[in-house]
Amino acid sequence: MSDDREPAPAVGTRAEPGAFRRAVEGARVALHRGRFGDARWSYLYGGDTRYRVDRVARDRVSAAARRARRGAPPDTVQGPVIQAPVWTWEVPLYFWFGGVAAGSSFVALACDLAGDPRSAATARKVALAGAAPCAPLLIADLGRPGRFLNMLRIVKPRSPMSTGAWALTVSGGLGALAVAADLARRPRLARAVGGANAVVGGYLGSYTGVLLSATAVPVWARSRAFLGPIFVASATATGAAACRLALVGGGLPSGHPTREAVGRVETCAIAAELALSAVNQRRLGELSPALEDGAAGRLFRGAKWMALAGLALRLARRASPFTHHLASGLYLAGGLAFRYAWLAAGRRSAADHEAVAREARR
Amino acid sequence: MGFFTDTTVCIGCKACEVACKQWNDLASDGAEFRKGASYDHTGSLGASTWRHVRFVEMLAPSPELRAEAEAALAAGAGGNAPSIPAARGGGALPTPDELGGAGGGASADDVPDLVDWAEEGAAAEMDRWIFMSDVCKHCANAGCLDACPTGAIIRTELETVLIQPDVCNGCGYCIAACPFGVITRDPVDGRAGKCTLCYDRLQEGLEPACAKACPTDSIQFGPYDELVKTATGRVQELHERGVDGAYLYGAGDEPGDELAGGLGAFFLLTEPPERFGLPAEAESPVQENVVPATAAALGAGFLAAAGVAAAFLAGSRRR
Repeated sequence: MSDDREPAPAVGTRAEPGAFRRAVEGARVALHRGRFGDARWSYLYGGDTRYRVDRVARDRVSAAARRARRGAPPDTVQGPVIQAPVWTWEVPLYFWFGGVAAGSSFVALACDLAGDPRSAATARKVALAGAAPCAPLLIADLGRPGRFLNMLRIVKPRSPMSTGAWALTVSGGLGALAVAADLARRPRLARAVGGANAVVGGYLGSYTGVLLSATAVPVWARSRAFLGPIFVASATATGAAACRLALVGGGLPSGHPTREAVGRVETCAIAAELALSAVNQRRLGELSPALEDGAAGRLFRGAKWMALAGLALRLARRASPFTHHLASGLYLAGGLAFRYAWLAAGRRSAADHEAVAREARR
Repeated sequence: MGFFTDTTVCIGCKACEVACKQWNDLASDGAEFRKGASYDHTGSLGASTWRHVRFVEMLAPSPELRAEAEAALAAGAGGNAPSIPAARGGGALPTPDELGGAGGGASADDVPDLVDWAEEGAAAEMDRWIFMSDVCKHCANAGCLDACPTGAIIRTELETVLIQPDVCNGCGYCIAACPFGVITRDPVDGRAGKCTLCYDRLQEGLEPACAKACPTDSIQFGPYDELVKTATGRVQELHERGVDGAYLYGAGDEPGDELAGGLGAFFLLTEPPERFGLPAEAESPVQENVVPATAAALGAGFLAAAGVAAAFLAGSRRR
């Protein structure tokens, strides 16, 4: 199907019922039998045709199906078996911004617990800034952006897309409320709302992994135990990195315990993400080429090297403040590349008909 | 209500595809001849193709055809890479050496070989050129229905799965959640589309357009239990005639063996499912994965929040 095809259908106008009026009011179509009468009528397989037998041994029929489906797979898979996801560049960017919002809400809660309300207020602002672009990005990816409010038409716990849309809405609202409370100098309210936002953020940062796992795309579905944790780790890392840069930009001095703690958090989180990704990739076995080849492979390698370079800069002796900031920037970029890599891997995995068919047989 | 599609009587006329497009006012798929080395021009099911007659060619494509298809694919024409296996039995084409030797031209002795080849090889394989009219399976455990965040996809009173076009906002989640690759998003229209089992026709007591148009009753429509009865009887009939490979895909299975809880539109096949682009096992990926994935993700989320808090508290205590 090409994008430049003529959208107008053969008859009528798109999305409108065709105009139809009978020549004789109330007339019936010749030979038509209502109530599905036509469906039960066949001139090919009548009473004198040996089309089927009437006495059936059902266990033999089910055994034949089992033989065909559990037996030797054929040499050739004539795909496509599944369709590739249609999501474009907006979605991984949304995952990343949502991750920044979630990670920042963790940092805000931790700052409050550790007794640093000024940094907590900054982290809450970062969380709001991370959540703000999410909705426009998500709307831009819709086929019918004008109908984005339909997402909030129902609450559907079994659909990660529905729960995610609600988490984003609630998180955006709580984030805005918390910042407003900060601006109105209501610290206790800000702290309470910020804490609630961290709870919602725990879901906002992780559901994206669930969203990808709950699909027929083999490389995502087989990573179901890891995708959520991987996305949480990168959310924490990118959120902490964004907060760290914001705090430094706000004049938090070097050696301040909050600045040190945020640095520790981002480093531990990115290390956890690298470790989880490595374990997952090993576990995927036959499917791992989807993560290693093509655009996905390039993105994964880039992400990994950015994360490793950031780690090296952070752990280097005699590091200047600038190298620390560069490390935070590398974590942010690495987290973004990881998100794009996962989407590219899914697209590649869905297009590999043989692998999809093989995974279905397992 | 459901569909029973019997591939043993399908002649590949594509009347069902045409009838479906006409009734549902669907856009054309373009007129690309021999997409991906197959004589099937359509390629796959999608937003504007709710019935798709898959051609399963058991013959080897010629080198020219294969090259042509690969060039078309490289140019972004879509379709499938040529994945047609070499003909079985006496299948391989005789080489020029076998036919003529150094002098060129076939000698009289070679002619019987050629006839044998034609009879045992190509001609024998030709009747294994099989067709399957593919359609949305209207699964009992429908992945698309589980995934849809807007409630646009519903189970109707006729136990079919329907996308309400006035609600769908084109989020694209159902596409990735369908284990059968039935749904795509229309690039012009922006909404997901798939077979409705002619919900509008059923309201008037008419059978779906594809079943009505099918000239060989390969597509049969009716109450589900009646269809299963017909289909199992047909399988047994074929077994008695010696077609041992005949089986039902999606109905008549033992509990626990069902595909996606049982398919409202099921098929009689004679080759392994993968030859038709069907998975050997299928389940709603949402029902399968969402609980373990959410448990892992939420566990990790709380662990991360706790870890962040711990890092800060450790820092403040040291101070």
